[in-house]
Amino acid sequence: MTTPTESAGTTGPALEMRGITKIYRVADDEVVALDHVDLTVASDEIVALVGPSGSGKTTLCSIAGGLLSPTDGSVAVAGQEISGYSGRQLTEFRRNAVGFVFQTVNLIPFLTARENLLVVDEIGPRLGRAARDRAGQQLEELGLTDRAANLPTQLSGGQKQRVAIGRALMNDPSLVLFDEPTSALDSSLGDQVVRLIRNEMKARGTAAIIVTHDDRITHYADRTVNIEDGRIAQ
Amino acid sequence: MFLALHEMSRARVRFGLLICAVGLLVFLILAQQAIQGGLISGFVGALRQQSAPVLVYSVDGERTLQGSVIDPLLEAKIRGVRGVAEAGWIGQSTFTVRVDGGTESDAALIGYQRAGLGDPGRLSAGRRPVGPTEAVGSVADFTVGSRVRIVPNGPPGATGPTFTVVGLVKDAQIQVTPTLFVPWAGYEAAVKSANPDATTILPSVIGVRPTPGVRDAELVRRINAASPDADALTRSQAASDAPGVAQVQQSFQLIFLLYGLVVPLITGLFFLIITFQKAAALTLLRAVGARSGALVRSLLIQVVLVVGGGIVIGIVLFAPLTLIQLGAITIRFDPGAVLFWSVALLVLGLASAMVAAKRVLAIDPLEATTGAGGL
Amino acid sequence: MTLALREMRRRPGRFGIATVILTLIAILLMFLGGLLDGLVASSTGAFRSQRADALVYSASSRNSLERSRIEPEVRRQVESVPGVTRVGGLGSVQLGGRVPGRGTRDLVPTVLFGYELAPRGLPPTPPATGTVYADDSLRAKNVVVGTTIRLGSARSAVTVVGFVSDTRYTGQGTLWGSLETWRQVLNANRPDARVGPGVVQALVVQGGPLGRAGLPERIDRATGGATRTLTITHAVNALPGVAQQRSVFNQIIGVTVVIAIVVVALFFALLTVERTALYGVLKAIGASSRALFAGVVLQAVVVALIASLIGIIASLTLNELIPAGTIPFVATPARLVSSAVVLVVAAVLGCSFSLRRVLRVDPAAAIGGTP
Repeated sequence: MTTPTESAGTTGPALEMRGITKIYRVADDEVVALDHVDLTVASDEIVALVGPSGSGKTTLCSIAGGLLSPTDGSVAVAGQEISGYSGRQLTEFRRNAVGFVFQTVNLIPFLTARENLLVVDEIGPRLGRAARDRAGQQLEELGLTDRAANLPTQLSGGQKQRVAIGRALMNDPSLVLFDEPTSALDSSLGDQVVRLIRNEMKARGTAAIIVTHDDRITHYADRTVNIEDGRIAQ
Repeated sequence: MFLALHEMSRARVRFGLLICAVGLLVFLILAQQAIQGGLISGFVGALRQQSAPVLVYSVDGERTLQGSVIDPLLEAKIRGVRGVAEAGWIGQSTFTVRVDGGTESDAALIGYQRAGLGDPGRLSAGRRPVGPTEAVGSVADFTVGSRVRIVPNGPPGATGPTFTVVGLVKDAQIQVTPTLFVPWAGYEAAVKSANPDATTILPSVIGVRPTPGVRDAELVRRINAASPDADALTRSQAASDAPGVAQVQQSFQLIFLLYGLVVPLITGLFFLIITFQKAAALTLLRAVGARSGALVRSLLIQVVLVVGGGIVIGIVLFAPLTLIQLGAITIRFDPGAVLFWSVALLVLGLASAMVAAKRVLAIDPLEATTGAGGL
Repeated sequence: MTLALREMRRRPGRFGIATVILTLIAILLMFLGGLLDGLVASSTGAFRSQRADALVYSASSRNSLERSRIEPEVRRQVESVPGVTRVGGLGSVQLGGRVPGRGTRDLVPTVLFGYELAPRGLPPTPPATGTVYADDSLRAKNVVVGTTIRLGSARSAVTVVGFVSDTRYTGQGTLWGSLETWRQVLNANRPDARVGPGVVQALVVQGGPLGRAGLPERIDRATGGATRTLTITHAVNALPGVAQQRSVFNQIIGVTVVIAIVVVALFFALLTVERTALYGVLKAIGASSRALFAGVVLQAVVVALIASLIGIIASLTLNELIPAGTIPFVATPARLVSSAVVLVVAAVLGCSFSLRRVLRVDPAAAIGGTP
């Protein structure tokens, strides 16, 4: 299993999904969440994934991030084919290759901002000093140095999102997945966060998929993909 | 009630583990209570069951039958005390015996000179001995018709006297040993066969009956005043002041205290944690109109069901124990003790849930709207 | 797994109550164990200190010293058994002692032993007639070197010339003197148990290095079944009440350990339910189930260790506070450490009930999840 070491300037696409189908069995019914979806995201592209609730955008995001396995089709992240991975392989993949910023529970409530960033190192490579330096750098870039020792309860909504973004970048991922990053924020704060996301992604040349129904994000994204009833709208 | 049961059936593992823990604790408490009772009864039951209201030991005997010896001088002084209506010899020794030709075992013999002073007060079966080869035995160890042969010291195969058990008495062991009450002549024969070197067989204690109008405690005082070598005790004192009894009681007291504390701590902890965990749901219920009192009542119902369930399990686990004997100790099912502990633990459990109840009462339904109802 | 430790440090309250409960259980385990150890030690000291390979009782004595009688011919038979190097007589009598400075009705319970082969801590030749060594426990009863104790109703006088430790018998302090001292005191105080010259209650036997194997059986054969010989260990276990106390206490301790397992299982079951969302996020960012569960086990071990530590301190304090002669409690390092180990193992077993729930947490639920 190869892990990509450079995300900047890699020639291959960050994400390549072909013919992705996901079917859930609920009671006696079958629910088709995704129906033969194709999606390609370039190595430094920001894609906004827009659709009504129940459209399958969350499922798509989950499969791209290795949280779910598809019923059918192939998924390759930075050249790594993950559609056949076992649970353990997916866990290792997530640890090394992707970052997540969730809609709600992002941060560990009893850890400070700095410690939330360092969690990634603790469950992963355990680089020690190198990780601490990187965390410090990250906090500085995100303007959170004076908040480094604060617990999540002591941070504002916007600050919490910035910490979450910092954590998502700690393992130098090929792809970052954002799930409704601005839904809990008011308009000016949301605007700040979105601009921050774009800056950070572009500075590193990291690809991102942002699930949203917020128009401001589509404005900051390179491309918008519409999804409805499990299918990409062309 | 509906809410309480519904929640319990949804979280079977948690409530199951809790009831399990409480059940095991109740079982241990009841078992130890019974062991304590059986142990004390095994030590001094015979003293409680024998008929003399006042027992006079020699001070050197330190309140053990086996250690006490009354010489003729002391006996004379005792008999001379004003208020003594009747006095009789009582002796105690432990022997190796064969019951109905079986393997060797232990038996304690209590010999009494006068009926009514040293023999059991009330029999549970059979009749009293008539001759020196008859005996009344402790009910857990003998049956009517058993033949008990003393195995004396000497060449193997030597025979000592044989006693026939004609009556039985409950809770009448001494020193946790199977016990036989025999007339003095039989007792003397047994002692001589076990130790051929013995010269005079003196009594261990003198059993005394006060004249009508003189209270037991008063006679005890008079006898003790008459001689510094006499150690007179009422029947109940003799049982409670026997060496080891206080020790057993003190040790168990501490054990009960600790186990008793564990139960309300566990239930209190449990209900506090789950109250915190369902705070959001509770806030919602309050917001849609459920009364605080109803929510607290639901909580208390769960406490009662959990502790009650644990008590039932504990009793069910404990009951079979009362059918067996732990060595020579009889485990008895004492409804009084079971009732006491059931009530005590229920009350403690409810008290421990007060912290959780306070938390439930402090819920502000307004928090449902702000989403701050969760913790 | 510093994550697990950090959670405990930042959220002490949540683990606090569980620690309190486990501490109570630790104290219970150590107290019950210490009670058992104390009871057994105070019953068996006199025998454990014997430097011997076997103890010989008479056949019908049912391993009771008081009921046993060994006549001189039987002793000669035992002495001639091949492999037996030394034989010593042993006798005992239980009497109340009057110690100067204590009230006339305030007797000290003692057991006087007459010996020939010295137990550990006693001089090889028994002290002169009328003098004895006293067990350390008698110091608490105003006994010092030079004290003359008057035993029994005959007020037989024995003078204490030294002390020896851990030689108690059936819970009482002991006095150790020559067989002659013993015989005199016994015959003066217990006419119904008087012994003739040369008669003892039991024999203490030493076999040379080649003679130890099968010694008890060989002795009993040589006496034609008139004796019942036991190894010292066997004799200790056969003392009245010892085996039974051990079995009852160990059963109670066993059930208490099961309770500890259930309590830990319960507590961690509750805790895991609360942490489902947290585990979801951690799994999503790549933490393995094994790592998460290792954190749970670590927390259980830490709680058990803290509870054990407090339990040990409490037991040692209890040891100091309990007045000598009331509750027979003794806190030995072996018991304290083994109780702690048992508690830690119980904690690990208890929290493993939550393993399935940790495994079942679905990281995909972290996305789009409800708070």
